Amino acid sequence: MVEVVIPELGDGVEKAKVSFWHYEEGDQVEKNADLVEVATDKATFNIPAPESGIVTQLNFKEDDDVEVGEVIALIDDTHDEFELSNEENVENEY
Amino acid sequence: MKKLKKHSRLPWWLVKKIPRTQDAFTTREILKSHKLRTVCESARCPNMWECFSRKRATFMILGNVCTRNCLFCSVKHGSPEGVDRQEPLRIADAVKKLELKHVVITSVTRDDLSDGGAGHFAAVIKQIRGNCPDVVIEVLTPDFKGESGSLDKILEVNPDIFNHNLETVLRLYRKIKPQADYLTSLEVLKYVKKCDHTVYTKSGIMVGLGEKFEEVENIFDDLKEHGCDILTVGQYLRPSESNLEVEEYILPEQFKRFEELARLKGFKYVQAGPFVRSSYNADRLVS
Repeated sequence: MVEVVIPELGDGVEKAKVSFWHYEEGDQVEKNADLVEVATDKATFNIPAPESGIVTQLNFKEDDDVEVGEVIALIDDTHDEFELSNEENVENEY
Repeated sequence: MKKLKKHSRLPWWLVKKIPRTQDAFTTREILKSHKLRTVCESARCPNMWECFSRKRATFMILGNVCTRNCLFCSVKHGSPEGVDRQEPLRIADAVKKLELKHVVITSVTRDDLSDGGAGHFAAVIKQIRGNCPDVVIEVLTPDFKGESGSLDKILEVNPDIFNHNLETVLRLYRKIKPQADYLTSLEVLKYVKKCDHTVYTKSGIMVGLGEKFEEVENIFDDLKEHGCDILTVGQYLRPSESNLEVEEYILPEQFKRFEELARLKGFKYVQAGPFVRSSYNADRLVS
């Protein structure tokens, strides 16, 4: 399981606001794809997924404040790509 | 499956991706272990992780407390501490460890020091030259109240690029930089070029503070007339609620127009864009 953490965003910046989740729990996400958009007083950032996998847990809702260093999501990177693609195919048949 | 995007707090062209690479963490670690400050962190720069991931950083010397109180800036204002005489050694060592080819040194304004900290700038440059003779050294300085003696101290150790930012147009100086003077800043650039025509002179401005297009054109003319070679233009972003509000988010197309205009005016190198900061991609600009 890979943790997605709010990185340091500059001196004196202790928190950010979750403005948009690009994915929901259960979605497959590719490494480096934008996972979540967060905003500070100064700027708006897209934080990418650190690994490919299934988004298993989103710890905050949109408009929640999160502190720098907090784990905001978990990604299960243990599924192999073959398994994922089969699941997608099954879903597409319905 | 990726969700459909809603609107952001800022326009789409001002959403910055944070690259989280091993190099970024290495850069951060080297800076921390050497107890060095960067303007990247102090100014809450949105490009910070991008630059760290390219093993780039702009070192901020002479502490993190500024004697001036410019309303666009998030650096602390107050009475600074004494000068850290070991800082040049630590910076030179970090430059080596980061394998920098181009280093940018900036500082807070130190009106409390008799030379404004120019001697310390010179010490840093000398130490870097001693450790890494081939590195390109760019300084981004305060105005030193226009004192030629202070500027001489820096010019004597031959920086490759001398950057002093005008930051904004003449009309907004009193509001935004109440302790600074537009003409003094222009004279700084002119003096530097007059003393050493081989040094590249550079300046930068922020837009989105309420300036008019004609005023931007005027600042380009003023900079050119005072010998400025390199120009950067970027979007002002408010660092905190206690800073000035953004008056306008300038469209990317408008930045292109600024860039074209500056080239027409004769600047040797120009960089204009929403995320352009005075030291952003500094190594690429003149390489």
